[in-house]
Amino acid sequence: MELDYAVDIKELSFNYGDLVILRNVNLSIKYGELVAIMGKSGSGKTTLLKIIAGLLKPSVGSVRVLGWNITSERIESIKGKIAYIPQTLGLIEGGSVLYNVLLARAPVKPIAFMAGYWGKDDIMEALDTLKLVGLENKAMSRVDKLSGGERQRVAIARALFQRAQLLLADEPVSSLDYETAESIIRLIASLKSRNLTIIAVLHDKEFAYRYFDKIYVIDNGTLKMLR
Amino acid sequence: MRIATFMLILSIILAFQLNLIDPKIIGLIAVNSAKLIPELGIRVDMLGEALKAVYETLIMSLFGVSTGTLIAYIVAPLASPLIAPPSIATTGRLLANTIRTIPAILWAILFVILVGPGPRAGALALSIYTAAYLIKFFYEALESTDREHYDALRVMGLKGLPLALAIYTHIRRQIVSSILFMLEYNVRTATILGFVGAGGVGYYILQYLNLLNYQATMTFVLVTLILVIIIDLLSYIIRTRI
Repeated sequence: MELDYAVDIKELSFNYGDLVILRNVNLSIKYGELVAIMGKSGSGKTTLLKIIAGLLKPSVGSVRVLGWNITSERIESIKGKIAYIPQTLGLIEGGSVLYNVLLARAPVKPIAFMAGYWGKDDIMEALDTLKLVGLENKAMSRVDKLSGGERQRVAIARALFQRAQLLLADEPVSSLDYETAESIIRLIASLKSRNLTIIAVLHDKEFAYRYFDKIYVIDNGTLKMLR
Repeated sequence: MRIATFMLILSIILAFQLNLIDPKIIGLIAVNSAKLIPELGIRVDMLGEALKAVYETLIMSLFGVSTGTLIAYIVAPLASPLIAPPSIATTGRLLANTIRTIPAILWAILFVILVGPGPRAGALALSIYTAAYLIKFFYEALESTDREHYDALRVMGLKGLPLALAIYTHIRRQIVSSILFMLEYNVRTATILGFVGAGGVGYYILQYLNLLNYQATMTFVLVTLILVIIIDLLSYIIRTRI
C-alpha cells in the first residue's frame, strides 16, 4: 500500500538542461525508517532531498511524500510536516537559540511570532525540546556564538518542535570532528523512537552502517540500495 | 591605474570647462579669504538659538528614519521576488526607484507647497526619501541571504511577512547598518532642506548668510558640525556592538 510509505518515488528523473542529474530513481521509505543516502559530491544527493522537500520539481516521475503527490498537488499543506536541514543549517544567526526553536511554530502562530509574544506553553515546550538535545543551558545564547555541534543540535531541536513527520538532513555532520559527528548521528538516530522518518545525506560509511536502517548510494545518476 | 589616468585627464578637461585654471581665480580666492578671515568667529550669545535649530534638524532626521524604516520594513519584502510574486516585486521596485530618483530637496519643495514652510515639510520629505532608500537596501540584503535559509524556512511553512521578519533577524547587522547610514545622511540633508523653507538649521544659515553675518553663520555651522560628529560617533559605537 502506497500509504504505508512516508516517501514513495517512482521512475524519477531530474535534468538541468541537457545534464542528467538523476535517472529512473525508485525509492520507497516506510514511516519511521532511518535512511542514509550516500554518493560522491555532485552526484545528486541534495537534488533528491530538495525534490522530496518540494523545493524542486522532477523532470519525470511521481513523488509521493506523506501521502501527497507533490508533483501534481498543491503542497502547502504538507510543508509544515517536513523539516529540512540544509548543509548551512538555515539557522537565524541574529536570533537566540530559543528564537530559532520557536520559529518552527511561526507558520501556525504568525501573530505570536511577529509580536514576539509567545504563550507559556510554547516556551515551556521549546525549553523541553532544547533539553532533549542537550541545550537547556543555551536557550538565550545567540546562535552565531555556538559551536558547530551545538548549531546542529539547534537545527534538530527546531525540527522536533515543528512536530515534523519527515526530517531531511543534508550532510548534518560534514564539518564536525569525529566525536561530535557521532554524537549528532546518535541524536538523529534516537529520533526514530519519536515516529520520525529520517533521510540523511552522509559521507561516512561507518556511521551509515552503524546507525541507519537502510543505505542507498547515488552513482552516475542512479540510486542503488547498499543495505 | 587606467581609471586613475582617465580621471586625471577628465579632471583637467573639466577644470578648463569651468574656468578653474585661471590665475585670476587664485587671486580672487586670496582677496576674499583676506576679507572673510577677520570676520570669522562664533557668537556665544547665539548658541541657544543655534542649539534649538539643530535640535529641530535632529527631530526631522529622526522622524525621517523612524517612519522611513517602518515603511521600508513592510514594503521591501514586497519588492523582493524571493518573498513576493514577481509581478508585485517588479512594481514595488519600480515605485521605490522612481521615488529615489527625485532628490530630497525636490521632495522638500513639494511638501512646502503641500503643508506650508517649516520642519513638517522637511520631516515628511525625509520620510519618503528614507523609505525609498531603505526599501532598496533592505531588498538587496534580503536577496543576498543564502538561498538555503529560504529553503529551510519555506519547507517549514513560512511565507510572506513572517518569512521576511525571520530573514530580517538573520541579517540584523546589515539592517541596523543601513538605518544608521540613513540617519547620518538625513542629518546632513536636513541641514540643506532649510534652504527651501523646509525647516531646520539650514533656514537660519541661509538667513544669516544673506545678511553677511558670518559670525552668526559660523555659530550655526559649528553646532551642526558637532551634531554630525556625535551622530557619526554613536553610529560607529552601535555598529561595533551589533
